[in-house]
Amino acid sequence: MRRPPLRTLGRLAGRQPLGAAGAGIVVVLVLTAVFAPELAPHGAKDAAFSPYLPPSAAFPLGTDHLGRDMLSRVIWGARLSLWVGLVSVLVGVTLGGLWGVVTAYVGGVADSASQRVVDTLMALPPIILALSLMAALGQSVNNVIIALAVLLTPTAARTLRSLVLSIRESPYIEAARAVGCPHWRVIALHVLPNTLATYIVLVTVNISYAIVVEASLSFLGLGAPPDEPSWGAMLTAGTQALEPAPWMFLFPGLAISLTVFGLNLLGDAIRDLTDPRLRGGLG
Amino acid sequence: MTGRYVARRLLLFAPTLLSASILIFVLLRLVPGDIAEILVYQTGSESSAVQEKQIRQLRAELGLDRPVVVQYVAWLGAAFRADFGQSYSQKRPVIEILKERVPRSLELALLTILIAMLWAVPLGVVSAVRQNTWIDYVVRVLSISGLSLPIFFTGVLILYLLVRLFGWLPPLEFVSFTVSPWENLKQLIWPALAQAYYISAPITRLTRSQLLEVIRQDYVRTARAKGLGERAIVYRHALSNSLLPVVTFVGWWGGRLLGGIVIVEIIFSVPGMGSALASAVSQRDYPAVQAMVFVMALVFLTLNLLVDLLYAWLDPRIKYA
Repeated sequence: MRRPPLRTLGRLAGRQPLGAAGAGIVVVLVLTAVFAPELAPHGAKDAAFSPYLPPSAAFPLGTDHLGRDMLSRVIWGARLSLWVGLVSVLVGVTLGGLWGVVTAYVGGVADSASQRVVDTLMALPPIILALSLMAALGQSVNNVIIALAVLLTPTAARTLRSLVLSIRESPYIEAARAVGCPHWRVIALHVLPNTLATYIVLVTVNISYAIVVEASLSFLGLGAPPDEPSWGAMLTAGTQALEPAPWMFLFPGLAISLTVFGLNLLGDAIRDLTDPRLRGGLG
Repeated sequence: MTGRYVARRLLLFAPTLLSASILIFVLLRLVPGDIAEILVYQTGSESSAVQEKQIRQLRAELGLDRPVVVQYVAWLGAAFRADFGQSYSQKRPVIEILKERVPRSLELALLTILIAMLWAVPLGVVSAVRQNTWIDYVVRVLSISGLSLPIFFTGVLILYLLVRLFGWLPPLEFVSFTVSPWENLKQLIWPALAQAYYISAPITRLTRSQLLEVIRQDYVRTARAKGLGERAIVYRHALSNSLLPVVTFVGWWGGRLLGGIVIVEIIFSVPGMGSALASAVSQRDYPAVQAMVFVMALVFLTLNLLVDLLYAWLDPRIKYA
């Protein structure tokens, strides 16, 4: 008998209270991003007010150095950050994952050659690689997504490769081959489903990572163009106005932290749930 | 650990470093606007025929008019002799900048790792031993929040509080450890703390999950069955077996610190390699950027190599193809 989905959710939330809290934060965030036009009192780029107004009833989060409403910018920022995080991770992890799965399964020269490419991309500290890519590509939201996807590809390829190396040796793969399954069928029906849990964990964990790297790039002045409502860029502008307007760095910083916090809690819970070894208590 | 694996791993080191250096070289030359244009247009006037000529002259002087392959081979040949050329913006040999900046960043990185290990590992142990109690939840929330607070946010927050509460300002002159250890530590402790808070989160989480896994192993049950005290079980049997991945992780993460150091050094005005790199990137100082990223890749790859060898040596269960 199937349990009603709501009760299953409730049971999961009881077992993973932190994960449930994370899911709650993520849901609020997604709603904020989706309904940004309805929620934000002003446009993200409307420089129509006095600069450096402290938080008040009219401007709950104050205004910035150009007289833009911070609340509106933080709300629009949710849309930008989630969009950049989600798209870059889906592209990077999916492409990198497939690359890792296929080359690991095929093995031999294809595997070693692809691992050398991964080595090269991973030879640079991630922020440094992203920084160089952004310097070469030029500043735009799409280029940030490309740079982040390039950054995530080798990690996903390596993680799924090592997983597939062990899956490949499993008896059920041997059995599938023995009954005459062609290779594509073995990959699609026997290998890929077994990498799904790792794939989901990679995606959830890396969305927050991508959001942080995006903000880091903006912080270094190499991310999205400065007038885009990127939390990282807002934080940089706030850093330059620490004394007169601390709210300018505080609220975007809190927004990034809360987002990453929620995503991390959720990712953690998903990892715990998909790893049967971690179920149950001590001894 | 088979000798073949070690040999392979060692053999791969040089080609990877080489391909990484090519990657940086090509990326840097894709950047729109080169140093010659910037230097000439610095005067702010409109472009003119005279300026065009100046740009061409400067490019010839700096060797920027040659094909990229020729430039790369020339760079590589010189790099073998530890000659990374002249910095455009600082007007002195890049190797001098490296000698001055690298030790500072290295010190900051070591201090960061030391601080992080000192509080992260004990927290992870407590969290695992008391799994699913309030103390476990507090530690987990603390460490996840550490991961969630980006380094530039905690850094700026610490700076803001220091400025507001203590009237502290980042010192203008860097005092090296050999001159005055106390002054030196006073400068580096805040950036190290900011960064340590960030990296201690994954260390705590890893210690916790490793210990949880080890604690369910048969030999731990055996230890318990023969009547060992809980303390001896955790510290002598479980912890020593779960710290291996933690140590290798720290080695691996040490490389990633190099990226975070760029941001921390900028916030706290530490004149290290990271802040030098950031300013070199914005000034399109090719020789300096190329050399610094190369050194970072070298350190990063060396750390990864050591971690891999350590791992293979310590854990014979791992099979390498």
